Amino acid sequence: MNKLSVMAMVSIALVFMAFKPLMGKLVSKDAHISFFSHTALEDITANNYKVVSTLDTETGDLVYSVPMQSFEFEKALMQKHFNSKGFLNTKKFPKAKFTGKITNLESVDFSQDGTYEAAVAGALNIKGETKPMNEKATLTVAGGTVSLESKMMVVLADYGITFTKGKPSTNVAKEVEVTVKAVYTKE
Amino acid sequence: MIKRTTKIISGTLGIGVLVALGIAYYMFNLPHRDVQAAQIDFRLSSTEIVNQYLADAPSANDKYLQEEGDSKILAVTGKIFSIREDLNQQKVVLLKEATEHAGVSCTFTEATGKKVENLDIGHTITVKGVIRSGAGFDEDLDLYEDVIMEKCDVIEK
Repeated sequence: MNKLSVMAMVSIALVFMAFKPLMGKLVSKDAHISFFSHTALEDITANNYKVVSTLDTETGDLVYSVPMQSFEFEKALMQKHFNSKGFLNTKKFPKAKFTGKITNLESVDFSQDGTYEAAVAGALNIKGETKPMNEKATLTVAGGTVSLESKMMVVLADYGITFTKGKPSTNVAKEVEVTVKAVYTKE
Repeated sequence: MIKRTTKIISGTLGIGVLVALGIAYYMFNLPHRDVQAAQIDFRLSSTEIVNQYLADAPSANDKYLQEEGDSKILAVTGKIFSIREDLNQQKVVLLKEATEHAGVSCTFTEATGKKVENLDIGHTITVKGVIRSGAGFDEDLDLYEDVIMEKCDVIEK
């Protein structure tokens, strides 16, 4: 075997390794979800980097499991309020969950690097309340991973989170902006 | 006489207002709990805590999670199964036996993350951190979720 054919074989092997097909169930063990609440009085941000998510490239199934106590706020007191009984009651409801499906799977090619707009339909469960949710998400397929980014508005009252008095009623928005970012790989 | 009473009342009120403002200011700027400086509530192995959750998740949550989010501080001993980085650029060490379904996922901080560089897969270490959520099989994900600990540091190796 001459040098050239060895090099050809190595490069073919490398190409195959680089394009390991992203089929079936992909997992993201440390997805990032943040939320942002804006009022004239105060802007509040919280970040959670411990979200577990799965994306099935064949069925379009998309699931997010969110450990609620992993949301971190700049202010410790806000974090306490967030976790408390009156707000998200995270001792009783330690996880929130989204289960849904990509409804336009035909327009996403997981075998081809690129950016795709996905339509997602499903249900979000927070604090024991489940509500339907339809959102757009951007999927980026690149070199063996799939990234998902999405932004949505969540109405707190839909999940039984309401404030009638005190600082939270004026400083927490009725609708918060939720941002999702996940990087999926084959387990 | 009246003057004196007024003085006392206004003085007391003034002090009261100052104290209230002081408390409000303190509460507003209340620092986050320093997990590594706090006392360890439970010492156990990764297998023990995972098995407690798999056997009875509600009672394990009752034991380890706190209402306002300042949950129990654990020292968990286990074998390093994997080391990775999350989207916040923090090191994540999974303590798990190769034969087990779930383990304990330990996320380090900017301050403690450097210690992870000296760790090897397969070694047994003890990690201190705060528990955020428990382990269990999730039917929708169709996989086992790990116990999640954050603000971690290695305390024995």
